[in-house]
Amino acid sequence: MSLPVVVIGVSHKTAPLDVRERFAAGAETLPEVLARLMAKPELEEAMFLSTCNRVEVIGLSKVGKTLEDSTRLAGRAIREALRDHVGASSVEALGSWVYEKSGDDAVRHIFRVAASLDSMVLGEPQILGQVKFAYDAAVAAGALRNHLARCVHRAFTVAKRVRSETQLGAGIVSISSVAVDLATRIFGDLAGRTVLLVGAGEMAEQAAKSLGKNAQAIRVCNRSFERAAILAATFGGTAAPLDKLEAELVASDVVVASTSSKTFVITRDLMKRVMKQRKGKTLFLIDIAVPRNVEPDVHNLDNVYVYNVDDLEQEVRENMKARQGELAAAEVIVAAELEAWTAWARGLNVNPTVIALRARTRGVLVSELERSLGGRLKHLTEGDRAALAQMVESATNKLLHAPTTRLKLAASSSDAGDLVDALHHLFDLPKPAEEPGESERDSRSSIKNEDPTGDESDDSHDKRLAH
Amino acid sequence: MNEHLANVLFASTAAAYVAAFVLFLRFLVRGKGNVGKVGPRLMAFAAVLHATHICVASLLLRVCPVGGIHFPMSVATMLMAVAYVVAGKRWRVEVAGAFIAPLALTSLMASRFVGGGAEPGDGVKSLLLPLHVTLNLFGVALFGLAFSAAALYLVQERFVKAKRIDGMSRRLPPLDALDRAEHRFLLAGFPLLTFGILTGTVWARRVEMGGTSEILRAVFGYVTWLVIAGVLFLRAAAGWRGRRAAYGTIAGFGFSVVVLLIYLLRKDAPRDVVTGNRASSDDAYGPRGHVVSSTVRP
Repeated sequence: MSLPVVVIGVSHKTAPLDVRERFAAGAETLPEVLARLMAKPELEEAMFLSTCNRVEVIGLSKVGKTLEDSTRLAGRAIREALRDHVGASSVEALGSWVYEKSGDDAVRHIFRVAASLDSMVLGEPQILGQVKFAYDAAVAAGALRNHLARCVHRAFTVAKRVRSETQLGAGIVSISSVAVDLATRIFGDLAGRTVLLVGAGEMAEQAAKSLGKNAQAIRVCNRSFERAAILAATFGGTAAPLDKLEAELVASDVVVASTSSKTFVITRDLMKRVMKQRKGKTLFLIDIAVPRNVEPDVHNLDNVYVYNVDDLEQEVRENMKARQGELAAAEVIVAAELEAWTAWARGLNVNPTVIALRARTRGVLVSELERSLGGRLKHLTEGDRAALAQMVESATNKLLHAPTTRLKLAASSSDAGDLVDALHHLFDLPKPAEEPGESERDSRSSIKNEDPTGDESDDSHDKRLAH
Repeated sequence: MNEHLANVLFASTAAAYVAAFVLFLRFLVRGKGNVGKVGPRLMAFAAVLHATHICVASLLLRVCPVGGIHFPMSVATMLMAVAYVVAGKRWRVEVAGAFIAPLALTSLMASRFVGGGAEPGDGVKSLLLPLHVTLNLFGVALFGLAFSAAALYLVQERFVKAKRIDGMSRRLPPLDALDRAEHRFLLAGFPLLTFGILTGTVWARRVEMGGTSEILRAVFGYVTWLVIAGVLFLRAAAGWRGRRAAYGTIAGFGFSVVVLLIYLLRKDAPRDVVTGNRASSDDAYGPRGHVVSSTVRP
């Protein structure tokens, strides 16, 4: 294990939609959830990712006695935060839906998620935007600062590599295009049909792109009329506020619901009224929101068909079969990136030792130099004294260059625990746990620009952090 | 020679319908075959054979196919096949052939092997008879197509409601296409049925409605009209579409088939009267196509 990273969450693979929607958090509740996470003393950094297919907390534990110990404690803290978030009675009540990954497995998972290798629709591009959104929210809340931020940022690079070096994203079957396919199963084609978007977010926009190609008209109904008007104008459609929803439903044939509402926007009672006014004309509703926008019982009404994100999975599976070859190529990229990341992260573990060794060496030399400068070398001028100080610095660097390099090399390829122990024993270095605060902060700041795996991404990473 | 030709045509028609049915079934179950192109062509071929068979058999019998009740089901399903060929592709319900082919085959067989049949008595012979029969047969043919679309709708609707949208669901026509096709076939068939009912009513006044089969036929005829009228009215007035309309259509078609079956199975007219009316000494065919003195049947 390189870093005590922990991922705990639910996804389309482990939990049905009605469970996932209990875990979900919209943009407005993210700061509160992140604050709850950062209030846990076991967590150094955290991020909350909430999409229609997954809800995950990614955390970095504070340094404990061992990495295993740290991740265990961090995992417990995250589960407690999730318990409070969903209003469960206990951590155990979260159930078997929740999965947990730690260490390198967790990092691999983050890379795979960002690269859309764990998505319901393999290779779909929306997930990267969603991870970036979660990243920005965590940075803004001060929950991502250093190593975990770098890890997530590294995941962006992995995602970009997968998209550019494989055909995984080519001709992608997105949720929206699957929805179009389903709509044609009911209507034949969308010519002459009216599509209603309930909600005006990114998913609605994607749906409009797919459905709008063939539909006769696009209507957008949103809580914020201004946002609805902007989206409608993009596709030459019409906008309406949410309180006109009933009339909009009466005039539409295909409905895509994607609001962030915590309650059902389209209820059975509403739909019964709508269908009466429509004189039974078929209505197809695609609910891609989590939590769901359409009451499930609506599907039982005559001539009304409701499909949610889980229902689309079946369609998507066929898409995945055709992409297995590209998936293998993408997995190779993930494995290579993980190896590079692990090597770099392992180097972090020996950093406190390197710093302590450096401090000890420098301390001895400086102390001896100061004693001499106070005695036999008292006559030296300021210039001579500065030259001697420079000499001590150079001697320290040259003396420690080889051991530092070899120690980091050993750490990147395997566990350098024996070497670290030997150095601590031979030079009587303080144990990291004895003075965790200062040395840990120093070590993390000192390695900030030494990431061997992220040459070009450091600048943008720092800018993003600064932002 | 003529008998032989009729038999060959009968067997060829049956074989063509069987081949079409197998093609559709193979497509629906296994997803194999190009039903969109081959299906309607094969059905068109079968319909041509079927029509030729009816012509040849009626020439041999020296009767008009719609002048009596000799070939009612056979003619109805032949018309059904023709209507399918004309409208199936346009209304995107090519797969309805999966119902039309076995229906046509069954009625072809029934017209040859089932029941005693009867030639109309002198009291009912008039110009109204061919008109009445023709209108009703066209009506039944269109209701048969509406029935096929309705049945497919129910199957597809079941898949979509159950969210089992792979496999067979993918090979069935879209729900809306089926619903619209069903409605159009009903709309087209209803005026024909109405005229058929009207001519039948006028005709019935001229004869004595004494027999049970005649009463039943009239009752089921009116019930058919009422059911179809109800389906169309409720669709327009109360939004009865989809599943409800499909059930109504199936019921309406069911009643119309009962009327045909009563025609086919009634035994209140003596067979020898029928055969005696038209069979010449050198022609072994009975009026329904039954061969009295030969083993050959049309």
